[in-house]
Parts: sequence; C-alpha cells; structure tokens
Amino acid sequence: MNTLFILSIQPGLLLLSGLIIIAILAWILWPQKGGLARFSRMKARSQRELLEDSLKYMFDCEYRKAPCDMHSIAGNLDISVDRASLLLEHLFSKELITLDDQAVSLSDTGRSYALRVIRVHRIWERYFADETSIDQADWHNEACRIEHNVTMEDTEKLAAQMGHPVFDPHGDPIPTAEGTLPEPTGVTLNHLKEGQLGRVTHMEDEPKSIYEQLVVLGLYPGMQIYITDVAENKISFVADGDECSLTPLFAAHITVELVSAKEPVVSKNELLSSLQVGEEAEVVAISPNCRGQQRRRLMDMGIVPGSLVSAVIKSASGDPVGYRVLGTTVGIRSREADLIFINRKK
Amino acid sequence: MDKTTHHNREEILTAANTARWELGLDFHDTVIESIYSDASQIARKTVKLKGDKEAYATDITIDKIVTSRWLGFPLMFLLLALVFWLTIAGANYPSGLLSSVLIDYLHPLLKQAATFIHMPWWMSGILIDGAYMAAAWVIAVMLPPMAIFFPLFTLLEDLGYLPRVAFNMDNLFRKAGAHGKQALTMSMGFGCNAAGVVAARVIDSPRERLIAIITNNFSLCNGRWPTQILIATIFIGSMASPQLAGVVSAGAVVGIAVLGIFFSLVVSWGLSKTVLRGEASAFTLELPPYRPPRIWQTLYTSLIDRTIFVLWRAIIFAVPAGIVIWLVANVHIGDLSLAEYFINWSDPFALFFGLNGVILLAYIIAIPANEIVIPTILMLTVLSSKMAGVGGGSGVMFELDSTADIAGVLQTGGWTLLTGLNLMLFSLLHNPCSTTIYTIYKETKSLKWTMVSTFLPIVLGFVICFFTTQLWQFFGW
Repeated sequence: MNTLFILSIQPGLLLLSGLIIIAILAWILWPQKGGLARFSRMKARSQRELLEDSLKYMFDCEYRKAPCDMHSIAGNLDISVDRASLLLEHLFSKELITLDDQAVSLSDTGRSYALRVIRVHRIWERYFADETSIDQADWHNEACRIEHNVTMEDTEKLAAQMGHPVFDPHGDPIPTAEGTLPEPTGVTLNHLKEGQLGRVTHMEDEPKSIYEQLVVLGLYPGMQIYITDVAENKISFVADGDECSLTPLFAAHITVELVSAKEPVVSKNELLSSLQVGEEAEVVAISPNCRGQQRRRLMDMGIVPGSLVSAVIKSASGDPVGYRVLGTTVGIRSREADLIFINRKK
Repeated sequence: MDKTTHHNREEILTAANTARWELGLDFHDTVIESIYSDASQIARKTVKLKGDKEAYATDITIDKIVTSRWLGFPLMFLLLALVFWLTIAGANYPSGLLSSVLIDYLHPLLKQAATFIHMPWWMSGILIDGAYMAAAWVIAVMLPPMAIFFPLFTLLEDLGYLPRVAFNMDNLFRKAGAHGKQALTMSMGFGCNAAGVVAARVIDSPRERLIAIITNNFSLCNGRWPTQILIATIFIGSMASPQLAGVVSAGAVVGIAVLGIFFSLVVSWGLSKTVLRGEASAFTLELPPYRPPRIWQTLYTSLIDRTIFVLWRAIIFAVPAGIVIWLVANVHIGDLSLAEYFINWSDPFALFFGLNGVILLAYIIAIPANEIVIPTILMLTVLSSKMAGVGGGSGVMFELDSTADIAGVLQTGGWTLLTGLNLMLFSLLHNPCSTTIYTIYKETKSLKWTMVSTFLPIVLGFVICFFTTQLWQFFGW
C-alpha cells in the first residue's frame, strides 16, 4: 500500500508541484520559443545539407554572374573558412565543382545537382504559399529545412498536384525537372529612372531581415510600380496606388520588368471593406497577397475583376458582411475584404 | 519512329514551359477572368430574367431581422433553446417506453428462455446480461432524443436559417481561430458528437474543419446530459433548500455545458496558434436563399443518414463492450473479480484526482457510449462494496427508479460532494466515445488527429480534476 503515501502529502504542496510540472512542460513544448523548438534549431547542419546549400549558392552566383570564392561561400553558409575549404575539397573529389586558382565554378554534374535542389526548394515554397498558412517570411526557411529531407518523387507528386507551377511565390522561375531555367530578365529597382513604369517580378528572400521589411511595406511580385522620384539615397515610387520609398540598398532586392503599354495607376484603389451596406461597386483586382485556397474560393464565388458587388447585410456581431455578387449572397470577413480592390460606381 | 515522337514530345514540353515563363505570374487569374466574362456574355444573350428582384427582396427582409444587432442573438438562443427543450421533453416518454420493453420486460424473458433451453450460466451472462443489455440500453437512451433532435436541426438547416447563425457567430469564432460554421457543428454536438464530427464537413477550410472536429467533444452530448442532471441533483441540488434544489442543479448542469463551450473556444484558439498553425485556411460563407423545408425528405434523410447511421455504429461498439463489462465483473482470480482488482489498484491514483477506481473503470469499459456510464458505475459500486439486494447481479447494468436510492448506493460507495463535482467535470472532459473516435478517424483519415482528439480532452480532464481537488482540500471545504 505504499502508493497511498501520495494521499498524505499536503494539498498545498501538491498544488505547487502540479503548477511546476505544467510550467516545465510549457517551457519545453512552447511553440517556437520552447526548449524543444530551440534544440531542433540548434542541431548542426549535416554534411549533406552543407553540400547542397553550397551548390545552391554557387549556382546563384553563376546565375547572377557574380564572382564566387571560398570566402564568400564561408560567409554565405555561416561556417569557418577552414570548414569551407574542407567542403570544397569534398565537392571537388565528387567532381561537382571545378577549381581555377581562387575562383570556384560548378561542373555539369554539380549544376544539375544544384538545379534539382533549387527545383525542390521553389516547389515547396510555392506549396507553402498556396496550400498552407505558413507566414510569408517563413516560406524560405521552411523550404530550406525541408529541401534536404524530401525525395524527388514526393516533390514531383506535389508539383503535379499543384498543376506544375513555373514560378515560386517570390517570382523566381522554377527549373524544370530536366534542369532548364530561363535567362534572368528585368532590372533591379535601384536602376529605374523617374517616370518609368514596371512590374515587380522578384523579391530576394535573403537576408530574411530585409525581405521581412519589404513584406511589411506590402510589396509583392506582380505589383505595378511607377517611379516618381529618384534621389541620391532615396527612391520614391507609387506601388498599386500607395506612396512608397526605399533606400537603394533595399531597392536592389527587388527586380522589376519594364512595362510600357498600360497607364500608370497613380490613385489608390478603394477596398471592398470600405463599402457600406446598400452601396455597389465594381471589383478591380484581388491583391496577390490573397493566395491559394482563399483566392480560389473568392474567384469561384464570382469575385473577379469586372464583376459587380454590393454590400447587403452586416452580421449581428458586425464582422462578416454579406455581399451580393452574381445573384448569390456571400459572407466575407473584413480581413479578406481588405484584400479586394474596388472601384465605386459613379 | 518511337524515338522521334519522344523527341517531339520533349520539344513541345520545353516550348510549353518557356511559354509559361513568358506568360508571367498572373496567368491563372487572366484565364478565370476571361471565363467569367465569356460566361456573362453568353448569359446576357440567352437568359431572360422575370421577377427575380421580388423573390430576393423577401430574403433580404428576413436577413435584416435575423442578423440585426439587437434581435439576431436573442432569436438564435430562443430557437436553439426551443430545439433542446423539444428534444428533452419529447424524448422522455418514448425513452421510458423503450427501456421498460427492452430492459424490464424482454431481458427477464430472455433469461427465462435461456434457463429453459439449459444454456450454461456464463453463456447467458455474456450474451444476455452483457451484449444484449448494452445494446438495449444504448437504443433506449439514444434513439428517441436523436430521432427528435436531428430532424428538427435538419429542418432549420433546410430552411436556410443555420447559415445565418454561422454568419452571426463568426466574429466570436474568428477570434478563436475557428470558422463561424463551428457554431453549427457545436450545436450538433449537443445532440451527438459523432454527428457533430460528420457535420464538420460543411466547413470547407482544412484548418478550421480539423479544429471543429477536435473540439466537438467539448459539446456536452445527449448521452452525458442524464449523467450531469443525476449527479447535480444528488450532490449539488441537495445543498440548497428543497424549493431551490431544482433551479440550483439545473444551473449547475448549464454551468458545465457553458464551461464546455468555453473550453471549446480556448482549445480552438490554442490549436490554431500551435499545432494547426500551418494548415491551410480560407473563409467564405454562402448565405443561400430561404426556401420552404421539404418535410418528408428532411425526416427521411435525418432519420436514415444521421439517426440510424449513428445508432448502428453505437450498437456495433456497445455489444463487445457489454461482453467486457460482464466479464470483468464475473471472471474471478482467487476471491476477487477482475473489476475489483482494477478498482483496488487504481483507487489511490484516482483519489489523487478526486475520482475513484469505480469511475475510472466505468469510463474505460463504457467507452462505446456515455449513456451506459451511470448504469456501469452503479453495478460496479454495488459489486465492489459488496452491497446485497441492489441491482440485477454482478455484471448486469442497472438503474434505480428513485434518485434517493441512487444517492444511497453512491454514498455507500464512499462518494462525497467533491467526487460528484469531479465526475461532472470528468464527464465533460474525457475521451470521446468509441463511436465518435471511429467517426473522427473516418472523417480525417489520420491516426494523428484521431489520437489528439482522443487524448487532449482526457489530459485536460485529469488536470482540471486535479486542481479542483487540491484547491478544494487546500481551502478545507
């Protein structure tokens, strides 16, 4: 009967130990900040991860026609130069790279290996953007984590499910399974002149700190940009009607394709959420920040550019508002209505 | 020949890829846009409208009332209360009738028949006292309320009112990271959790649907209401003066149900912020036009698709459980039955949480249906405290007609006010019944989420009971 001793412990003491156990469990299991999450992040990168990351980096240099040597590799992978030299030796022995004095370049085998990794990475990024609710700033890191652990077959299945996407959510082309990739086009935003009109095709997702700030500013691939002023340390532009300015350093992270035909959108579009009950408007666009299932649902309901919507009822608690579109009433939350641009009927 | 076709194919694919790269990012949107504009052009040419505006005008008038700021919620509570009241009041008589036929009349008759054909005692025990009894009990308590609740609920759905409830409640559920339609699956869960889990199909967003499925168990289902009412009457109502006893115990039961809603929202919020954070989520809510309900079709579908479907699943699980219940009470090792061994062994552990071994064993072996928990508890209490002359013998579940008699049995079994309170909490916060667990697996096709739905509430139940008990003892109530 020695199990009964537990009943003779003071209730206060038991209460306290119960609270302590809960606190310890919370400390270990808390998402992102907990011990377990920290531990799994701290785990050293395996040899395979290092190898694949370095190939990816070298390919990136080649694609952007930037020089690449041992020091820049060490810097990019955040490892010591000694470790980087060991890594290069390993890559060389596997005939993945060729060495020419200081310059490092990919061999054909190395290039196709790198393209495979990039394909996996970008397909998963596309998947995270369209089919999950993972934060925009975390797509890249999640894809970096996953690209070394999935098989090519699983990724191809995923690509087939999504209808073989050709662009990742940052606007980068996804290499084909055979390893072809189009030539880079467009110029970075800091090279544009006053009065020029362009469309964002790519936002560099590394380093994360800069990318996060660009996301916070509401910039995204597909957005129309009209340059209003170029100064020494500031580039001002109108992005989908919003005034915006960036330092050249930040602007260099955005690639733009020049557009000539369209009229620049200078005035800001109104949002569907601003429509009062009884008013009618025409849908102009759905923001690209509304992605995946949500976007498809809205389009299925008839929210497409050119269709007429009118706000008809407000829910008792105020938030979803019922909109009449194509003869049906659809409840849309204000969070999503903020992503739909409208043009009020005069 | 083959080689050239293969080569051609490669060439075409490459060309297609290059073209897609040149088309850019908005290509899909442009396609959808052009489909819509083509469709509307065709419609304009071919479809003639006649009096459409009028029909819609009535809808909008009704909508303005049921979603109005001041009338929306009172109307909703009134309608739901009416549905519950009709269910409880209407199920009383048929339940009593079924129970007197199946349990009081047919059971002794079957036993006599078994004796007549010289069936061995253990076989009649397993088949009649175990399997038959459990199935009969499940039918008697489950069938009438479900046969009333589901058609009523389906009628409201058919009428077009339920989407408006979801529309009104969405604000609250959005803050909990859930979908407004969870208000509907929750209400459905008050009838039966298995049906509530199936009803979560109406939620088209994957994350919100999983949340609705996992938290459905926090809706106090129709099998748990009688337990709550009985225990509240015995332990909580008796503390108040006789005039107030009814009100106080009813208040306690409603309090538990509200606590369930509270847990449902808190757990939804927690899930959406942690394990389900990355799941896809999308919100749109269609508000279909009102239409006169198709009464016969509603009756048919709700009786066949929901009532019979759920009942059949419950019976399938109840039969083996009935056998297990009979066996644990009748298989002896030495002087004691298996049940007594387990009760004695688990008592210290259970007392730690303010429960007892009988309750733990009852919740394990009565997993197929919450309806048979109280009869099992009564049988096990009589068995383990060696009471004579109460009930139908070891392994035979029973219920007593008077609440005072049940109170007597439980008090002899060592129950206190704290045990009663903890049972009420544990009845709210424990694993779903096996029918619901199986349904969750069928709906999610995932062992992981089935396990989460099963063990999350039970862990929560133990934690809540532990703190209730320790606080109770700390303050020396």
